[in-house]
Amino acid sequence: MIKYILRRILVFIPTLIIISLMAFVISIAAPGDPVERLVNSAGGENGQGKNGNVSEELKQKKRHELGLDLPVFYVSLGSLADCDTLYKIPDKARRENLARLTSIYGNWDKISAYFQALQQTNTALNFLQSQANTNEIKEAILHARYTLISLMETAKDEAITNKIDTLKKLSAHIASASAFAEGERSIQQTYLDLKTHPTTWKTFVPRLAFNGLHNQYHRWMFGSYDGTGMKGSAYTRGVIFGDFGISYQDQQPIITHIREKFAWSFFLSLFSIIISYVISIPIGVYAAYRKGSLFDRASGFVLFALYSIPTFFMGLVLLLLFANPDVFNWFPESGVQNPAVFDEHWSWFQKLCHHAPYLVLPLITYVYSSFAFISRQMRVGMLEVMGQDYIRTARAKGLSEKSVVLKHALKNGLLPIITVFSTVFPAAIAGSVIIETIFSIPGMGREIYEAILNLDFPMIVAVFTITGVLTLIGYLVSDILYAIADPRISYTK
Amino acid sequence: MNVRNKHISFSVYAWRQFCRNRLAYFSLYLLGFIVFIALFSNFIANDQPLYAKYRGKVFFPAFSTAFHSFYLDSTLNQQTKHYEPIRFDLVDWKQVPLESVIWAPITFSANRPDPYNRGTIGPNDEQYYMAPDGKLEKSPFIFRHHLGATQIGQDIAAGLVHGARVALLVGLVSVGIAALIGILLGALAGYYGDTRLYTYRGKYYLIILGIITGYFYGFNTRGYILADAAETSVLVFIFQAMLSVFIMAANIFIFALIGNLFRFIPFLNKKVYIPVDSIVSRLIEILNSLPILLLIITIAGLFTQKSLFLVMAIIGFTGWTGIARFTRAEFLRNRNMDYIAASRSLGFSEARIIFRHALPNSLGPVFVTIAFAIASAILAESALSFLGIGVPDDVVTWGSLLSQGREQHSAWWLVFFPGLAIFITVTVYNLIGEGLRDAMDPRLKK
Repeated sequence: MIKYILRRILVFIPTLIIISLMAFVISIAAPGDPVERLVNSAGGENGQGKNGNVSEELKQKKRHELGLDLPVFYVSLGSLADCDTLYKIPDKARRENLARLTSIYGNWDKISAYFQALQQTNTALNFLQSQANTNEIKEAILHARYTLISLMETAKDEAITNKIDTLKKLSAHIASASAFAEGERSIQQTYLDLKTHPTTWKTFVPRLAFNGLHNQYHRWMFGSYDGTGMKGSAYTRGVIFGDFGISYQDQQPIITHIREKFAWSFFLSLFSIIISYVISIPIGVYAAYRKGSLFDRASGFVLFALYSIPTFFMGLVLLLLFANPDVFNWFPESGVQNPAVFDEHWSWFQKLCHHAPYLVLPLITYVYSSFAFISRQMRVGMLEVMGQDYIRTARAKGLSEKSVVLKHALKNGLLPIITVFSTVFPAAIAGSVIIETIFSIPGMGREIYEAILNLDFPMIVAVFTITGVLTLIGYLVSDILYAIADPRISYTK
Repeated sequence: MNVRNKHISFSVYAWRQFCRNRLAYFSLYLLGFIVFIALFSNFIANDQPLYAKYRGKVFFPAFSTAFHSFYLDSTLNQQTKHYEPIRFDLVDWKQVPLESVIWAPITFSANRPDPYNRGTIGPNDEQYYMAPDGKLEKSPFIFRHHLGATQIGQDIAAGLVHGARVALLVGLVSVGIAALIGILLGALAGYYGDTRLYTYRGKYYLIILGIITGYFYGFNTRGYILADAAETSVLVFIFQAMLSVFIMAANIFIFALIGNLFRFIPFLNKKVYIPVDSIVSRLIEILNSLPILLLIITIAGLFTQKSLFLVMAIIGFTGWTGIARFTRAEFLRNRNMDYIAASRSLGFSEARIIFRHALPNSLGPVFVTIAFAIASAILAESALSFLGIGVPDDVVTWGSLLSQGREQHSAWWLVFFPGLAIFITVTVYNLIGEGLRDAMDPRLKK
């Protein structure tokens, strides 16, 4: 038995790794630049501008803090033309543009020369801008800088040629700026050089690169023990120690956010599962015992209908009926507490009494679908058992019906219900997204819903990973329970 | 009983059993009704008349705009002697003094709100329309919103009709994708198991190499082509993605061919078994261990632009596990049967045995899961549009109508009718699935 459990846990590990990989891929594939978002929201607070070198430095710092200046994974598949330190470039748009240029021309040396020319000209212009005295020149320089920045973010030949032309005109306009004219010339030259010396063949040669342990996934998963000690903001403990990074919305650590939300979701789903088991087992047993009776047929029909009602429909109907001043105003409409009345220092019983009316409707919504499902399973399980030989034997022994059904049949009829747990549990978690949104319960489901609306990907990934792991644990527990409960199952392959 | 009756084929037997189940049989009719509504939604709910006579000219506006929404025509104004253009989808036909007209049963379109009945008008409230003489008048019976309207004046009945089309399309496309993946993987897993598909070591290594380089040529070097295609349109993207897949497959095939050359080296000529079953089972387990709605929502959140096809694809690519499990189980049962051995001894190719012989014999139970899968796909789509994730805001679906009832608790019609529509459709599919299962269950044979 212990061997079986151990083996089960061993199988659990690769699945866990794959789930973590999926979550990681989601966080990598997320649209938008995380650095940009964090810098912008931080800049908004501190009143700093988006432009200029200050924010460039800040961006670089943030990238380092987030570990984005590391390669993505242990191995990476690229082409011979790819630059293997491209991930160090701070700006996402420029980085992607460089990669695109590489895929077109395949000549990294020339591309980097072209890009350096762009950057040097930009620095020169930055200096010129601070020295410019007339408005006209200032405007021209500003125009030139915008053109330069858009040059850094485009790979289309036509657009680049046009923009270089604009630069040429502008440099003729600002006669005093020889540094700009020089920079403009070098841009033109390096671009021409790039175009005339493509090594496109390099993009068709695959190359597998090994990046070692210093990569984003490793850092995300296991944290960064980079020898600099535990201090500093660049330090993370990694997902396996519960560190999911910081939320884009308010820059707070995600795990502190989730801790309280998690309690609500977990309480609701677990409690609802317990309630639905308590209701559905007697119904299933009785329906199976009186197979074909009116009760059996009626309950079967009702359960089937309940099973097909979407949770969001049920939730809204309940709200409409029982939290509506026009019909029955029995329960509060949304939320879990009344902030005007609620007191942090109450005893747990007082708190429970306060929360209870808020939780009735959500609990009903949680319970009804799983209870329909479990009852049907219970009925099927019992029917199977009732046809077995040992039930006939028990009857032949002269045992009372009560003892036959409740003692002999029920024990084995309960077995399939245990495995049902592994179906009900993830369903409850997924259902929480809808139910918590409808009833405004501050749980994980609503959290992920709001995170998606706000594109807060660290939060999405965190909730995704935690629910995945929880579901896996649910599977594990139900498997082990089943193994304990049913001695007929052999554990040797 | 005559003799012929005893030798009916299984499908005929199953069909007879199915027809005996009155509820399931009735559901089939109901499904036919919903399909009818979805197919002809343009002529059931349309704010343009089916037939109209205006200034002596006969139009069929609903039919004209069915394929060509900017349909334009003109009429002669007898007073000014000028030709006046009519753009069929812009003109408010209820305002036009038509000489004779046949309206669609529901005189509103889902995506064109009624400007005169804003503010969540109920089925029994007073409703108005702009009469041909330019005055706001009480709506006659035919112009009423019989099931109410939303905040901006969308007719619920028209929304339901249009939503039927969306729901059925989502069910069809997403389960089509899921069935394709599920049946293929399930069939391979069930037929080959862990010990039946083997290759030689040299070929095995080269195939792995072929997969890596195939991915490189198909998706890595073509990455920007694919990204650009995704921005242009869905069809271009599908074409390019297909091309990428083809390149990858061709690459693997070439490497496999090269692998055959190494057979003469004894070390590379050893048999290697490919654990197809384990791989597929693990995949199923992983997908099942994630709450499916959460997975769908998360993936839908990854895409910045909303699209119905995307939603269908996501539901399809995450929902194949049930179908694969059943197909696998059927193939496991079938592969040891005599007819498979017979066709193998006849020298048929593996592909032919799997797809021509084993598959048709395994599909019965798979249909049951497909019916259930459609029900859950429709549920998933309506949950997504209820939450406003993935489904574009301008597509009217049952879920999006329902979600408008969230803010307005007095407007019961916003919740009741769309919810009922979802409930009925899901129940119909579930009942059909249940009926099929019972019909094919040999234990219930009398």
